[in-house]
Amino acid sequence: MKQHRTFMLAIACALGAMSGASNARPLEIKLPQETASYKPSTLPGYNLAQQNCMICHSAQYVSTQPSTSTRAYWDATVKKMKKPFGAPLKDEDIPAIVDYLVKTYGAEQPQTNAAVSK
Amino acid sequence: MARKPTRGEIDQRRRGVLKGGAALTLHASLGFTATRAFGAATTTEMPFENGHRELVAFPQKRPLILLTNRPPQLETPFEVFGENVITPNDAFFVRYHWSGIPTSIDASTFRLKIDGHVSRPVSLSLQELRRLGDPVEIVAVNQCSGNGRGYFSPRVNGGQLGNGAMGNARWTGIPLKTVLEKAGIKTGAVQVSFDGLDRPPLENGPDFVKALSMDHAMDGEVMLAWAMNGKDLPMLNGYPLRLVVPGHYGTYWVKHLSHIEVLDKPFEGFWMNPAYRIPANDCACVAPGTAPTSTVPIGRFNVRSFITSHMPGSFIRSGQPAVVKGIAFDGGQGIADVAFSEDGGATWRPAELGKDLGRYSFREWSIAFRPQRKGEFDLRVRARTRSGEIQPLTASWNPAGYMRNVVESTRVLVV
Repeated sequence: MKQHRTFMLAIACALGAMSGASNARPLEIKLPQETASYKPSTLPGYNLAQQNCMICHSAQYVSTQPSTSTRAYWDATVKKMKKPFGAPLKDEDIPAIVDYLVKTYGAEQPQTNAAVSK
Repeated sequence: MARKPTRGEIDQRRRGVLKGGAALTLHASLGFTATRAFGAATTTEMPFENGHRELVAFPQKRPLILLTNRPPQLETPFEVFGENVITPNDAFFVRYHWSGIPTSIDASTFRLKIDGHVSRPVSLSLQELRRLGDPVEIVAVNQCSGNGRGYFSPRVNGGQLGNGAMGNARWTGIPLKTVLEKAGIKTGAVQVSFDGLDRPPLENGPDFVKALSMDHAMDGEVMLAWAMNGKDLPMLNGYPLRLVVPGHYGTYWVKHLSHIEVLDKPFEGFWMNPAYRIPANDCACVAPGTAPTSTVPIGRFNVRSFITSHMPGSFIRSGQPAVVKGIAFDGGQGIADVAFSEDGGATWRPAELGKDLGRYSFREWSIAFRPQRKGEFDLRVRARTRSGEIQPLTASWNPAGYMRNVVESTRVLVV
């Protein structure tokens, strides 16, 4: 009961603060600088990934996936970005993006991921 | 308000687990470690392949494990759970689905709209919302559906989280039931949908909208919260208002809640179907690598427990009694007992439960540990609910990487 009363008091104080807060400034935040980028590559999909994927999300969505991720996974994922997610991807660009992703981050990397990430 | 740990505190915390540079290699091989290389950003290695992460301080947050910048996805460093049974606001995990997130909100002009299959559609200011009835308070865990996804074997795609996409907070707000009654539910209503101010970056993307059954929405427990641990919600946790769905995965806890719609037919949006579905069986699992034949929306938490006093790879002095502590929680039955093993699950003994903060809260537990030899110990903890649900000894698997609740192993060294 005591706890309840203390709580009600806290609420009353919060309400008091609220009523005085009608001309309080909006809460604003500034997000930290995004530094992650796609790994440079001579594969044609590299530029396409930079141009398309960065419109909506940061590069860590790709770079944190397990290095065992298959071509089928990357193909399904890129297609999901187009439909239903609405990315303005040209159908003819999708295979090159998938090729870049699976060879740079996925199961078709030339080296093991451990070697790449160190 | 947002208290950030000082460099000294971070170093002290690190020493607590590392105990000197010589231990670094061993520690890194066993689990979680944080290092600051050449004055660059603090980084950490999650104990799974490709687990390198930065620790970054976002607004109103201390440095947290950065999964993605845009939209922000931040994981709580696991040591935090050992500091307090309540997760501090500035350490609470962050998960968004779309990068169109609000970065400026004026609480005085914010409105919550309730419409659809109701007799009196309403648009409420925060002050009006607070005046609808007595405020309620609950201590409840919020946990991401994919908490622990990074530990799945075989690995699954999606956010590669450790076990830090969870937190326990004291939420203050008003029951959803009160708000729905204000609008007046018409007969024939079957579900209620919830939308927040976050938006897909492109027009065509499916907005993040979630739905609950009418019965669930009216259970008196689901609430609209404006405060977390006695303070305004941090922006990245849904300021100024979020849905709190006790015992249910975080996907339902819609942030920046701005629109509630009562529906006379089931909601079929992307984020209810096909997203956030689990296999339609008791274990919510399938054979690794296979797809479920039928699915249902994810719902309540299963039972979990963790050791929080000792991180993997930490050291314990031999010949001195140690106390191992941790937390347990479930989807709302409440924790009945917690068993502890120091031999990898061969033998178990009961731990002592801590204060009961309610059936949706983390429940603390502790047990004395007096190792009789030096070397590695595989510490495990296993919780059971009041309805008899118990954590499995081997991990179950599903393709989305949801609902991990296997008995975890914490390997420590007695020296």
